[in-house]
Amino acid sequence: MAGRYKGVVAIIQFPGVNCEYETADAVRSVGLPAELFRWNEDPDLLAGAAAIVLPGGFSYQDRIRAGVVAAKDRIMDTISGLAREGCPVLGICNGAQVLVESGFIPGLHWERVDLALAPNVMADRDGYYCTWTWLRCERSPCLWTGAFAEGEVVPVPIAHAEGRFTTDDESVIEKMRANGQIVLRYCTPAGEIDPAFPVNPNGSVENIAGVCNPEGNVLAMMPHPERASWLRQVPEGLAGSWGRRRTSAACDPGKMEDAGPGRRIFESLGIRTGGVR
Amino acid sequence: MKATAQLWVRLKVIDLVVQTAWITLTETMGFADDLRGMLRYAWWRFDADGTGAAAVSAAIDREIRMDSAFTNQNKHRYHLAVEAGDERIVTGDLDLDADLPGAAEGIFACDLLVTEKESGADAGYLERLGPRLGDVRLSGVRSGEVWRLLVRAKDQAEAAAKVEEMAVTRTRRHGLLVNPHYQGFALIRTAPSTGVTGES
Repeated sequence: MAGRYKGVVAIIQFPGVNCEYETADAVRSVGLPAELFRWNEDPDLLAGAAAIVLPGGFSYQDRIRAGVVAAKDRIMDTISGLAREGCPVLGICNGAQVLVESGFIPGLHWERVDLALAPNVMADRDGYYCTWTWLRCERSPCLWTGAFAEGEVVPVPIAHAEGRFTTDDESVIEKMRANGQIVLRYCTPAGEIDPAFPVNPNGSVENIAGVCNPEGNVLAMMPHPERASWLRQVPEGLAGSWGRRRTSAACDPGKMEDAGPGRRIFESLGIRTGGVR
Repeated sequence: MKATAQLWVRLKVIDLVVQTAWITLTETMGFADDLRGMLRYAWWRFDADGTGAAAVSAAIDREIRMDSAFTNQNKHRYHLAVEAGDERIVTGDLDLDADLPGAAEGIFACDLLVTEKESGADAGYLERLGPRLGDVRLSGVRSGEVWRLLVRAKDQAEAAAKVEEMAVTRTRRHGLLVNPHYQGFALIRTAPSTGVTGES
């Protein structure tokens, strides 16, 4: 049944991902229909999808390199075609790794791999790192951040071992900067860009947390917006206005279900597609 | 006396990473005709000073057998080769020259060493192993991974070119094992898989 996902946000379920259900919930929270799509289903079913989301987790158990096996998968042929036609595509964490290994991001030359998400480089530690970070939304053509004000700072958590955006070609960064493709940057709660750990939690060049393609319909971001889509997900005592809101809501269960800072990512898609509530 | 040691460690139980790489290369990426065998090794190079190859070999061999950061005898086999001057001492239960699944006429064994350009792991290994070697002084550690690919080719140059095409990720459709934006790589051996012994 070709086009079964027409008008639906398809959450791609590669073997080993583990954030697909909460990602679908976050999409639904802005009034958009979302359904899981197993990677080995008929790719023609994706025709007309409202958007594609590659969720977080460990596709193919991160074997060889995070995201690389999924990037070679045949379903990515279809997603490549949809993205080229302008379909919104979002990769979160492992999904971002898949998009980078696919060459959709930065997409300066489609499907050429111009970036890597390398192992974290952190002060006094190695490996997997899980924490709340602050992201500054930069001026960009990205449709996934249309609901943010330029320069707005939001807290969103990360949880990864390979999240360091890097390249061996400095001109790639210059082109990304010129195109406004550096969408989200790690910053202090006040919005200052500090390249040192822990503000930059993984050693990313330019403090990059999220990159879009030049057209703005594809976004790869390492932080997890679906884990910050309800106020109840924000920890009490977190620095900044979101932490204060969360603390003041501690005795008000109704407020706990309010939108969290990461929901703007999904609201941005809703605004673009007319589905936001 | 300065000595250099190379440690190669391979799972003796099924290596699921190799299984996945094999399926991806042969079934998804179309290298079924070219790729005839595949193995993966954890790899270390140690730079040391000691009274000779025997002393360095004994010290490193003793420690790496007892430290699961390097080997776990329940699931690994290893090959430790220490060179100092004209001396060369090999220990371990893994014969690298015979570790050639798919060997045949016209098949080349190619060892691709993959390292990280920026990694804190090597300093960690130095800190971990250095103080435990007694009179042997450890001055450097480099770690990585070696992919042994058995490749059908007419000569070494063609084998090397095929390995690069299979391994080095340049586009979504080409290259699986190395992302050159953060990993270094070197083809450290390309030799016919039959009738040849020794590391190059």
